Amino acid sequence: MKKSNRLIVGTALGLAAIAVAIDHTQHRLPDPIAAEQEQSDMTEDESPCGMAAEESSPCSMDSDDSDSSPCGLGD
Amino acid sequence: MNTAIQKIKTDKLIVLLVLFSILSISLLLQYEFNLKQALLFLVGISFGLILMHAMFGFTGGWRMFIRSRHSIGVRAQILLVILSSILFFPIVGGVFSDITSHAALGQVGLSVVIGAFLFGIGMQLGGGCGSGTLFTVGQGQTDMLITISFFIIGATLGSYHLPWWLSLPNIGKVSLISELGWFPALAVQLMVLIVLYRFVSVLEIKQHKSLQNFSLQQKNENFLEQLIHGPWPIWWGVIGLTLFGLVTLLMAGYPWSITFAFGLWGAKIWSALGGDVASWAYWSGGYPAKALNQSVLADITSVMNFGIILGAMLAAALAGKYAPEGKLKSKRVLTAVIGGLLLGYGARLAFGCNIGALLGGIASGSLHGWLWLVAAFSGGIVGVKIRVWMKFDKPYGATR
Repeated sequence: MKKSNRLIVGTALGLAAIAVAIDHTQHRLPDPIAAEQEQSDMTEDESPCGMAAEESSPCSMDSDDSDSSPCGLGD
Repeated sequence: MNTAIQKIKTDKLIVLLVLFSILSISLLLQYEFNLKQALLFLVGISFGLILMHAMFGFTGGWRMFIRSRHSIGVRAQILLVILSSILFFPIVGGVFSDITSHAALGQVGLSVVIGAFLFGIGMQLGGGCGSGTLFTVGQGQTDMLITISFFIIGATLGSYHLPWWLSLPNIGKVSLISELGWFPALAVQLMVLIVLYRFVSVLEIKQHKSLQNFSLQQKNENFLEQLIHGPWPIWWGVIGLTLFGLVTLLMAGYPWSITFAFGLWGAKIWSALGGDVASWAYWSGGYPAKALNQSVLADITSVMNFGIILGAMLAAALAGKYAPEGKLKSKRVLTAVIGGLLLGYGARLAFGCNIGALLGGIASGSLHGWLWLVAAFSGGIVGVKIRVWMKFDKPYGATR
């Protein structure tokens, strides 16, 4: 039973890894300099939680909330 | 509690595979993105290791308290929130001008009440919360693979319906730090948390005539061996989660979160199958749209979640507990499906799970975190009753 459990979990995680690899390669990879720039842009202005005060809220639902935080998105 | 130390049979193959994966992914993230992305992945690894070695779960702690008034798990959670609040409030309150960090704010309204209530039921049926589901998947529990799959489906469905839920009555986002100032808000919050800690302690003493002490947990003469192989006393978990929670706040700029990634993964899968996710209101603007249109490895929450799974896998292998035996029964499959759906859908409606809304929300001064706690715990009581009704657990009296 333990061996079959290992096989099941290993297969599931392997499939997940393949899915992540496919997703990653499907998106155009920016050159390293642009990537670095984009990442810093993202962390400063567009965190999951709508960190940017002047930006739309985390949930992108209420745009007039200047106090929005990451967390609309949540969790 | 347990004082006997058994010979630990480390699963060396899994340990080597996980270490190789951690090294490879860290290098990939640094190369493709930046050092911060790689470090946050390693923070996720640390969270997974801590959660697994300390067996720090919200679901089991709540169930123990609801069923038998054993409060050690709940008290550990309260301590975690207390310590995190003490560290987070001045940072989020802007005391340190060089640090930019934001609170985990969510609107206070009906969507949180209903979402957290559903989440609370889902925790008990699915067998885990946001963090619990991830680390038990890492541990190799096959039933939790079902729970996490339907967690993802529920979160995706929740993101589709979210605009309607957000239109229900609410008072918007309420930051206690903005309303009261960081210090008065912290003082009030600590008072409430201490009263809550005392309250659950008194209930345990009333029931059992004594209070289980943190220091009476697992003891091992060899500190290093216990550090590597576990099991850890729960208070080690509290300290570890607090410190890495602080690291996350400082590095990511917002508190630790989990379930946004589940919705993102589901949206990406649905999109790959031909679904027009980009037309959904939730995914059509702001950060969600950006996350949808770039690699999943660019999303900090996703990267940290991958880290939690691998970290828990490493800890489980070191402890010789990876892929525990157990036959999957049809009734368990059913609860994993229903529980997973409730977890995912509820988390999306409630602006987070036990980590993003309860821990991150409360510790960063968001009122919605408190509302989440009350509603989710109420749901937990219902979930525990359903478990008894389904004969997963014995009736309350039979446990005493």
